[in-house]
Amino acid sequence: MGHAAEGGGPSLSTAFRRARGGVVAASFHVVEVELLRSLVGQLLELVRDDPADLKAGDRWAAELGLADEAPSRPTDPVLLRLFPDGYREDTEAASDFRRFTERGLRDRKAATAATVLASLATADGAGVSEKEREKIRIELDPGESEAWLRTLTDLRLALGTRLGVTEADEDDWMSLDENDPRRHVHDVYDWLGWVQETLVRTLSSALE
Amino acid sequence: MTAPVEIERPEAEEVPKADVPWVTVVWNDPVNLMSYVTYVFQAYFAYPKTKAEKLMLDVHEKGKAVVSSGTREEMERDVEAMHSYGLWATLQKAGDRV
Repeated sequence: MGHAAEGGGPSLSTAFRRARGGVVAASFHVVEVELLRSLVGQLLELVRDDPADLKAGDRWAAELGLADEAPSRPTDPVLLRLFPDGYREDTEAASDFRRFTERGLRDRKAATAATVLASLATADGAGVSEKEREKIRIELDPGESEAWLRTLTDLRLALGTRLGVTEADEDDWMSLDENDPRRHVHDVYDWLGWVQETLVRTLSSALE
Repeated sequence: MTAPVEIERPEAEEVPKADVPWVTVVWNDPVNLMSYVTYVFQAYFAYPKTKAEKLMLDVHEKGKAVVSSGTREEMERDVEAMHSYGLWATLQKAGDRV
């Protein structure tokens, strides 16, 4: 498993913590909000993308598992990680499982990402002073918190799979040239992990 | 338990599938945070924190852990839920080598 970067992260933001009224809150720099918006928007497109391009009636049939065209096993490693096989050694059972679950999972992941986008949209920061724009406060109710947890996971799975991260490979990434685009992407991946870690810790305290 | 009387056993294929217990296996991956995996086991399965942490460490250190058991349909639901959380999970018959 992965772990969040030590020392609070290379961040302009303030960690998630519990706030009044049953919400959790964090502050982000406007640049970070824009980055999140862009990444979540891309994730939304990725999970929504359905090559079958189904008509409404077909979609209904698909949801009941009646469609002729079952979703095929993704060839893109990112999609395969987001929608993995349900069976390891039984390709027929894995194919059936995919037919009954993948479209539903795609819809749920898309709806979850849309919830995160909506919570970012309300934290616009427009019309406030330049100084206030640097710290945009994000407040999440329990449903939005759950959406953030799942979407941050999906984003990290997508970036981590694209980068090819492995366990205990921190030094390899740190030793990349500063101009190497992979290093920048890995910094973003680390930062998302830090944001998620602070959110998980805040929410976990309520489970105990 | 009572020892069974010697009777002719049916072939394995004839055992009704519903009678075979199934398990959900969660596999280690390099991305998911340890704290998040523990949180998912607590939130979805309603496991106490100690059990959730033990399962998380099994996944992390041994590469996998059986996290639930039941009928095939129940395990398909659990695996689908794990996928919705971004965990890498599969189901299999309880007796099969993990």
